[in-house]
Amino acid sequence: MKPAIITLLAAVAVSMPALAGDTAGSAAKAPVERSALDAEVQSLRSEVVDLNRDLFMLEEDLLFPASTQVAVFVSMDVGTFFALDSVQLKVDDKEVANYLYTEREQEALKRGGVQRLWLGNLKAGEHEVTAFFTGQGPHARDYKRGTTLQVEKGVGAKYLELRISDKATSLQPEFVVKVWE
Amino acid sequence: MAGFLAAVALAATANEGPDAPDFALSSTSGTNYRLSEYRGEVVALVFWASWCGDCRAELERFERLRRTYGSVGFNVLGVNLDTEPGRASALAGAAGIGYPILLDEGQDVSRTYRADELPLIVLIDREGAIRARHEALDEREERGLLVDLRDLIDE
Repeated sequence: MKPAIITLLAAVAVSMPALAGDTAGSAAKAPVERSALDAEVQSLRSEVVDLNRDLFMLEEDLLFPASTQVAVFVSMDVGTFFALDSVQLKVDDKEVANYLYTEREQEALKRGGVQRLWLGNLKAGEHEVTAFFTGQGPHARDYKRGTTLQVEKGVGAKYLELRISDKATSLQPEFVVKVWE
Repeated sequence: MAGFLAAVALAATANEGPDAPDFALSSTSGTNYRLSEYRGEVVALVFWASWCGDCRAELERFERLRRTYGSVGFNVLGVNLDTEPGRASALAGAAGIGYPILLDEGQDVSRTYRADELPLIVLIDREGAIRARHEALDEREERGLLVDLRDLIDE
């Protein structure tokens, strides 16, 4: 709603000189002033967006310091043999995420989008990450597969990618966990 | 001047309600729906169950409203609380409901929206804020709902 308030205030500010009964000369200047004001409001909006982004990043840095940060992403390569319905993610046998995909989200993944499924903190050491994928496999059959990975968490941030790809040789989907350092 | 601007700003924010909690649920057709994907449109959530006597009338009322206002950005999502999805499908089919019927078998969404009494109607504006809550409607309350709905559509 904030941009709407800013726009409203800007509109009021623009109309104030006219309400005060300005001269004809100043009325002619009004379009120029209005466009300058529009540019100013636009720049203010852009600054607010930037500030919001910086605050968001700062918050993430505070909540998830690099020393303990682990992020899990989902991606899809082609996806002809699998229509993703949901992903359940467990870390050390504890459910940390359970995500249901809409058609729009499935399309976004198929077009190359990458979704951050979970962002959390893990202490250094060994951890078990398990992902369960449910959806429809070949011939529109209900399909559920799990994949597990032992992860060694070091001092830096850890990024894991759950990738769903097509295995052309067996005409089946393939679920791979990839570790990014 | 400052007082006038403050009053205008207050008037502009007076319509704001709490943000509607986002959720994703699967529907009787098997398709998944997420509330946040309707941002920019007016949404009515109709919480109902097959064992609720007044619910069928509300489902049908919102089907009529959807047909009337659907083309101007009004969407209806039925949220069913039955533990057996078959009952929801059967009743919605018999009532000729064309909007998605979402299955809240775990009742997490209905708890979040405090759907203690059924039916419950929650109107959500184009910004994703809850603007009105209605229970079973009589004739007078229906007029109130229509006023709320038209206001939201016109915003």
